[in-house]
Amino acid sequence: MSDLDRGRRPTSGPIRDFDFPDVDRRALPNGLDLRVVHMNRLPVVSVNLFIRAGESALSDHNAGLAVLTADALEGGTKKRSGGELSESLERIGARVSATGAWEGTSVGLSCLADRLPEALGILAETVLEPDFPDDEVARARDQQLAAARQRSMDPASLATDTALTRYFASDVPYARPIDGTAESIAAMSRDDLRGYAEANYRPEGGGLIVVGDVETSEVEDMVGQYLGAWTGSPATVPDFSARPETKDRRLCIVHREGSVQSEIRVGHIGVPRATPDYYALSVANMVLGGMFTSRLNLNLREENGFTYGVRSRFTYRSEAGPFQVSTAVGNDVTAAAVREIMAELQGMAEGGPTDEEVAAARDYAAGIFGLQLETAGQVATRVSQLVVYGLGDDYFDAYRTNIRGVTTESVATAAARHIRPDEVQIVLTGDADVVGPELEELGLAPLEVMSPEK
Amino acid sequence: MSLLSIPFERHRLDNGLKVVLSPDRSVPIVATNLWYGVGSRNEPAGKTGFAHLFEHMMFQGSAHVPKNKHFELIERVGGTLNATTWFDRTNYFETVPSNDLELALWLESDRMGWMLPAMDQEKLDNQRDVVKNEKRQRYDNQPYGDWDERLQALVYPEDHPYRHTVIGSMEDIDAATLDDVRSFFETFYVPNNAVLTIAGDIDPAHALAQVERYFGEIHPGDPIPALPGNPDIEPLIGSTVRDHVVADVPLPRVIMAFRIPPYSSPDFAVAEVSRSLLGTGRASRFYKRLVRERRIAKGVVTYVFPLLSGASMMLVWATGFPGSDPAELEAAMSEELEALSEAEQSEVDRAIALTETDLVRTLERVSERADLLSMFDLYFDDPGRLNSELDRLRAVSVDQIRAFAGDRLGPDNRAVVVYEPESAR
Repeated sequence: MSDLDRGRRPTSGPIRDFDFPDVDRRALPNGLDLRVVHMNRLPVVSVNLFIRAGESALSDHNAGLAVLTADALEGGTKKRSGGELSESLERIGARVSATGAWEGTSVGLSCLADRLPEALGILAETVLEPDFPDDEVARARDQQLAAARQRSMDPASLATDTALTRYFASDVPYARPIDGTAESIAAMSRDDLRGYAEANYRPEGGGLIVVGDVETSEVEDMVGQYLGAWTGSPATVPDFSARPETKDRRLCIVHREGSVQSEIRVGHIGVPRATPDYYALSVANMVLGGMFTSRLNLNLREENGFTYGVRSRFTYRSEAGPFQVSTAVGNDVTAAAVREIMAELQGMAEGGPTDEEVAAARDYAAGIFGLQLETAGQVATRVSQLVVYGLGDDYFDAYRTNIRGVTTESVATAAARHIRPDEVQIVLTGDADVVGPELEELGLAPLEVMSPEK
Repeated sequence: MSLLSIPFERHRLDNGLKVVLSPDRSVPIVATNLWYGVGSRNEPAGKTGFAHLFEHMMFQGSAHVPKNKHFELIERVGGTLNATTWFDRTNYFETVPSNDLELALWLESDRMGWMLPAMDQEKLDNQRDVVKNEKRQRYDNQPYGDWDERLQALVYPEDHPYRHTVIGSMEDIDAATLDDVRSFFETFYVPNNAVLTIAGDIDPAHALAQVERYFGEIHPGDPIPALPGNPDIEPLIGSTVRDHVVADVPLPRVIMAFRIPPYSSPDFAVAEVSRSLLGTGRASRFYKRLVRERRIAKGVVTYVFPLLSGASMMLVWATGFPGSDPAELEAAMSEELEALSEAEQSEVDRAIALTETDLVRTLERVSERADLLSMFDLYFDDPGRLNSELDRLRAVSVDQIRAFAGDRLGPDNRAVVVYEPESAR
């Protein structure tokens, strides 16, 4: 017979310590921050070239220009057409993709290690000598316009996009969709993209992150060869402070006739990445809605069966990004779900977490950190954050210690400061005729009914 | 280390449970991964969606593990976990710091051996609601959300096990009972119908002893019953069959599917590589021609379903722009499918090069290694197939691809679902 007592959770073995991998750092003469991590488990390399050319530096009439320019980058260079560019990369099993985001533009490369010299050369050519031919610009623009249309008819995107306009004052870039609006995108020309890249695809303030089966000295040689002559600073810099549209609680529904479900967003302006409350607030959010066993998910999904899932999230950016609870629920339980979300926000803001909840979330955060250092891509993403947000070189070395140092009191304080049920903006997409009356009865705020723009 | 030599060893417990162990001690984490040989293809008429609903019930506790404890305990150690249901199988997986391997084994073994004592009507009703919300969120409330239901109904005949979707129908989900849970568990959730793979920071001998300790005393079940319905199927659809949908969708979309040989056939590799020529990367035919050069598609998707019973399915889809004519889009897709009969060797080389990078990247993760090892052992009794995947694809010749285009992608083997936006009318 086995001596196994199934009624008892097995005890954990001794933890095997694992440090964040060593990062070689070199400040290049052109202002680019080079960071290399050697990982040789498999013969692959992940590269991220981060350029400080982001959407948050753009005014409303240029909204989406950083995103569109990044999209059109695959359209070719002074030496190769778009088709030839793709062919040269894919022939050697390499992929390059460029993404415009709030803080900047990231050009990623994934390839096998022995192909890195050739692939990095093509990446450099793509960024330093883009051509933006007319038909490729038109392609990228038509794709973005079509995507904007898709978003406007997708209930989840519609709810999120609408909510952002209610969290932030209208002149804050974060109030708009990151890809821009149909109006701003439609007006963008080849000259706009060329001008934008010429002025803003500059090394100063950016970084080159290389992770994988490669030595730092080899990377330095390649960088000297391909990026040595690249100079200058991005011309357009962010100039705003994130502010809320209002501190009054408001409630609105974007009417979508015949919806079988309501998409729900409840939130308000959050905090910047540099907040001193970062660790405590991260734990507060995990307890509230950042894990499967969070208060929100256990209440709305596991106790009530209202939803397939619910989560809360602080999005940390250079300026304060949104804090938001999001879920989708059936029509008949829409009002009840909003009521429960408000109760959980209230509970967290006023009562704080229990010692047990804090311990569980802390352990989760500390443990999962180690799970996410497995691949070159994961490590490259982490190291990129150091560059993007200007975090200290020892940031990841100290992460677990800092998370474990969070106390119940500090979490309660952070929650009370940054989760404010009286100021939330409640936004739904759904059938207003069906779910509206009960929502009004909650007495949270007067109900505004909006119609989606098509 | 050569590019693809993932180490592994195989064992089988007396109760029939297959065990695959794949050590890699570079990072102190371990993935546990269980594949059960049951999926939506095992559902008879009137029980569609049950395999997936049952998957949800597997998280509702077992004799020694209270409801929600599974999630709570894994999250507590910083682990991740989930499960998915598919046509031919259901998989359950955790990744945890390696000092907590035993925790994952305890949880998985308790629900494999002692799930039923914890089941009750309240839990079933709760998860039924969760699943119905999942269906609303991911299918019913989504533009194009019913595409797979429409497509499967065109590709597979009435009594075929792939005729219905994994999520099933609301009606059948509503009708599920606790008795169904009991009999499904006793029939399919037996050690002789499962593969357990452990990959990552393990000592194989120690891990095997732990598996024996936790899973060894679970009783085997009867042999798995034959599939309901009739998996035998003609290799070709026989004509072009279509479904034209005018709906509240933002953009026109044309989805085409073809019957292809099942995953177990050597010819399946031909379909996989052909698919890559059409849709993998930006130099692929669909992207190059439809998106980049002709600019009539906003985006293209190509996919092969690795299915076991009778015939598998390859699909290609293209999404148009506002106001564009779906018929024109379909004609352009047809042209590219036909043109594949003149494929060139350089395209095959490109597709293989991209596939190689993608596969190596996938194998960076112990969770992915475990998942693939489980799959190859369950489907083909051969986890070692993981290390010969690329060779299998490399063996495909350009002549085979040219022939495949004519044999399988022509008008005598097409199911077409067209979505036309209401507002365009």
